[in-house]
Amino acid sequence: MIKNPAKPTTDGGPEDIGRRRMLAWLSGVGLCGSAIIAALSNLVFIKPRATYGQPAKFAIGKPEDFPAGARISLDTRRVCVVREGDKVAAISTTCTHLGCIVSVAETGFACPCHGSHYDQDGTVTSGPAPKPLAWYQVTLAPNGDLYVDKDNEVEAGTYLKV
Amino acid sequence: MNTQTAVRSQNSWLALPGNVWRSIFRNPLPNSDYGRSSTSFTNFFLHIHPVKVHRHSLKATYTWGLGLMATFLFLILVVTGILLMFYYVPSTTQAYDRMLDLRGTVAFGIFLRNMHRWSAHGMVAIVFLHMCRVFLTGAYKPPREFNWVIGVFLFLITLFLSFTGYLLPWDQLAFWAITVGTSIAGYAPFVGKDVRFLLLGDSTVGQEALLRFYVLHVAVLPVLLTGLITIHFWRIRKDGGLAKPEDEDTGTTSPGAVKAAPVEAPATMAVAAGAGAGPAGAAVLQKRTFGIQGLVRGPLVKVGSIEDRTLFSWPNLFQAELLVFVISVAAILVVSLFFNAPLEEPVNVMHPPNPAKAPWYFLGLQEQVSYSAFWGGVGVPTIEVLLLLLVPYIDRKLAGVGRWFAKERLLANTLFTTFAVINVVLVIVGTFFRGANWEFVSPW
Repeated sequence: MIKNPAKPTTDGGPEDIGRRRMLAWLSGVGLCGSAIIAALSNLVFIKPRATYGQPAKFAIGKPEDFPAGARISLDTRRVCVVREGDKVAAISTTCTHLGCIVSVAETGFACPCHGSHYDQDGTVTSGPAPKPLAWYQVTLAPNGDLYVDKDNEVEAGTYLKV
Repeated sequence: MNTQTAVRSQNSWLALPGNVWRSIFRNPLPNSDYGRSSTSFTNFFLHIHPVKVHRHSLKATYTWGLGLMATFLFLILVVTGILLMFYYVPSTTQAYDRMLDLRGTVAFGIFLRNMHRWSAHGMVAIVFLHMCRVFLTGAYKPPREFNWVIGVFLFLITLFLSFTGYLLPWDQLAFWAITVGTSIAGYAPFVGKDVRFLLLGDSTVGQEALLRFYVLHVAVLPVLLTGLITIHFWRIRKDGGLAKPEDEDTGTTSPGAVKAAPVEAPATMAVAAGAGAGPAGAAVLQKRTFGIQGLVRGPLVKVGSIEDRTLFSWPNLFQAELLVFVISVAAILVVSLFFNAPLEEPVNVMHPPNPAKAPWYFLGLQEQVSYSAFWGGVGVPTIEVLLLLLVPYIDRKLAGVGRWFAKERLLANTLFTTFAVINVVLVIVGTFFRGANWEFVSPW
């Protein structure tokens, strides 16, 4: 460290160097800390709080629109509405492999991209898909509309009684 | 001509063009060694070069000009990219129409798009080959370890730049390639889903993703790449030029270079020598030569009776660079004249093509993903990148540096070549041997 020639020699003892070190260290930590926080705030900035695409929660119609035994795929929403008796559920039609849209097949679902097959409940039966298809929460609004909430995944086999 | 007439003739109006010319170009075309050296360091565009360059670094069969080619392709990409920005709109409703406009109404539109696309593919390939060259000649050894690390990042950014550009035409190819590609990112543990969401700005590929990829593609990544390229070049100079074998190092790398050991160096030169030696310190000091043209201006000084294996950069290096530049531009122009960049139907979110394929340089990755999503897409690539980053710190023996396929480096070269070949084979399999439902097909 460069000595300051103007400084009186009387207070140039070891404690003084200790204090300088301490101050230098604190400034360093302060500056680096601020830089890291500033960098991280950019991550917060680019994570959108509102998305401008499709809303995650949307109405799919009245329960009567889905007769018992129906498996209706809403491609634009990327969900398949399944009705069994008086129970309704929504199964994702986005392939868990690489995001293609699976089509409703007799045995369940089939992906056109990489050949994954799923059964009626979305469990993988063959192909490279690593996970079963997601099930989404279905709710009945007071006005009688069914709502699917893609932010809320539920366990496979969870139906809503209507 | 005496001094007075010289002054008078420089003040006359007839001398105006000459005066303007001389005010811009500080040196006349050189006809002496002094002129050749000052041309290199008084010209802004030339001064990143050394004044003199080692014969070994000029050998075409040593470098194949691959680093230069990558740089020139990047230059073409910047120029054509900026031109394309005048017409492109990053909007899901307009992007595809703008592609059609480039094809139909914009003068040279299709040609510029072809140049941009083929240069991008070329750059990915050339940067990869450049990396192979540097590895197989052992040029990543000390003191060049960190420049290799920067090079690895340059390779990754090049891939990412190409990937972000892939979405912009907003056709079926683009949309599904990016859907597949970002899904692979989603397989990363812990952060995968968040990275995917940050990248797409939404849960699926749409307007937000297009805007984000556009900003990354035209601003963030090119600036990052330019910065790293600058450091990459700067470090080449500071590391004493390109790597060369020990026995070639008897010459000097720059004018006025001083063999450190036998010469009693003044204090300022000792500082320069110490800075040049870096952390390796005294051990290297014994055998290295140091350039001090930064300290000494004016006539060249050559100390000691060192065999000079260097040539002046003007014209030797500049001719070589010009040749590589002309070859690169010519290749891109010819390819762009004969082959159009692909443009498929506009995006149809409901109907993925079968098979849906990522860009070709990611097809090796996609091929791996079809066996195991996590290991193929994340695990193995992460290990490979970590190995690449760490290799100069693991493999530090200096034997065989600066020669292709050196016997001393048989193990390292074999391992690297095996990895490279496996990846190339995976890309080829993914590109040509995979059909509908990702099943094996024969391309013939």
